[in-house]
Amino acid sequence: MAYDKPIPRPSPHTMPFWEGTKNGKLMLPRCTHCNRVHWYPRHICPFCHSTALEWIEGSGEGRLHTFAVQHRAFGGWAEEIPFVTAYIDLDEGDRMLTVLRGVDPENPESIRIGSRVKVEFEQADNDIHIPFWRVVEEGA
Amino acid sequence: MNTQFSRSAAIVGAAEATEIGYLKDPKTAIQLHIEAIKAVSDQTGIPISSIDGIFSAGWSSELAEHLGIHPKYIDTTQVGGCSFEMHVHHAMAAIYAGIIDVALISHGQNGYSMRKVGGSGPRRGLGNDNSPASQMTSAYGLSGAPSNYSHAMTRYNYVYGTTPEDFAHVAKVTRDWATLNPRAVMHSKETHKAGGPITIEDVQSARIVSWPLTLLHCCLVTDHGGAVLLTRPEIARSLKTRPVWVAGAGESMGHSNMLEMEDFTATSAMASSAAAYEMAGMGPDDMEMALVYDSFTVTAAITMEMLGLAPRGQGYRLWKDGDAAPGGRLPINTNGGGLSFNHSGMYGMQLLIEAYRQLSGTAEDGINGLPGKQTGASTCIVNGTGGSLSTTGTLVLVAD
Repeated sequence: MAYDKPIPRPSPHTMPFWEGTKNGKLMLPRCTHCNRVHWYPRHICPFCHSTALEWIEGSGEGRLHTFAVQHRAFGGWAEEIPFVTAYIDLDEGDRMLTVLRGVDPENPESIRIGSRVKVEFEQADNDIHIPFWRVVEEGA
Repeated sequence: MNTQFSRSAAIVGAAEATEIGYLKDPKTAIQLHIEAIKAVSDQTGIPISSIDGIFSAGWSSELAEHLGIHPKYIDTTQVGGCSFEMHVHHAMAAIYAGIIDVALISHGQNGYSMRKVGGSGPRRGLGNDNSPASQMTSAYGLSGAPSNYSHAMTRYNYVYGTTPEDFAHVAKVTRDWATLNPRAVMHSKETHKAGGPITIEDVQSARIVSWPLTLLHCCLVTDHGGAVLLTRPEIARSLKTRPVWVAGAGESMGHSNMLEMEDFTATSAMASSAAAYEMAGMGPDDMEMALVYDSFTVTAAITMEMLGLAPRGQGYRLWKDGDAAPGGRLPINTNGGGLSFNHSGMYGMQLLIEAYRQLSGTAEDGINGLPGKQTGASTCIVNGTGGSLSTTGTLVLVAD
């Protein structure tokens, strides 16, 4: 079945990220001056304000920072309710939003903040593969 | 230092559109603006033609044109529901600097009627649809404010060991206030089929919107128009209305997109209130009541902590222990809040209007002469929160 949910459109600046997802890589912007990774991609490092940025391949691993269970949604997502959205603390630093997999939306009390998560990619169309994260090991 | 601004301007009037709430006959946002502006002009005796500074959330040029005025100071700051508290801050600076004499701050939003007549008016103008932040968030099915704020309550409960039931007290007590305010949408069964008092069980058993938020943890989406006028002390003293002095004002922001929220249990209200207290030469212990944006129960509870009026992790206790309730030590959201009074999408103007009524001793009048709930407070802290717990504007207001 065709992917029926919103599909992001790359801009020139974010191309390396979306190119990476096609090859199963989670590319992250890093500042060559202070070495910190930031998310979402900027034109300037939000920590030290250097503009000398590079893309690195991230580990695709992190921890669950917080989550919610969506019982109201629109478009293609309306078919999926309830589903879990989450913020992920990347092992490299900073945070990503995702729809979390490998958890039970009907039982939110069973979902553990701090759980280890791994990224996976779903092909949405010819050009775009969207990152989603999955709980691989329950945390504290 | 910002202390020289303190009390350099007063709010001299605050009025609402002819009808607010769930309007049977739909209205456009501009009509709600104009009804309120006409009402505040009548209330204060300040002619619309004397307005020389205009402040609104995205509307200022369209609004001035509609009124047929040519202001000297045009500010259309739109950073969400706290924009109106920031407008007060900006207006007092413009008045203090001698640029303007009379500032109009105006709000019109048909959060309910727009389903029938469209959401007329300027667009938010925040970023663009294909910004990097949007690209990295738009794929994940979030739909509006509740779907974001719920993440903050989950994290808060993890950090502090609290439960959704703890926050339900915010909704229950705020509804108690609404039952004293005939203008409140949820005042009674007469005003709404789901109106009147509610229990903690009612809050927790309501349908889930975005776990852990049930419907009754979330604010209303109604129609509202409101306007306030600020002016310099000499003019304020000459009017038929009682002035309410802006003793302190501050604004700040943590982020724009929730992706950039460092600490999901805190907002920039700690910084904006510090600036407001400093300007006022006052502190949390001097505040006799509080009006804080309660987009969600968790918003109000966190805000009270940020304002220094509750220890971290214990904001909800102000409601649970009865301090915030009618007759309590520190009345909070005496109009019934965005949760049960009125919330049109942005709620900062409703805060200003209730603050003016309380501190000018006119809360009893309500709208159209209906009875209300005067507290007798002489100081009030007002805090707006915009975006996704993103931006904050704080005011310390004092009675004459």
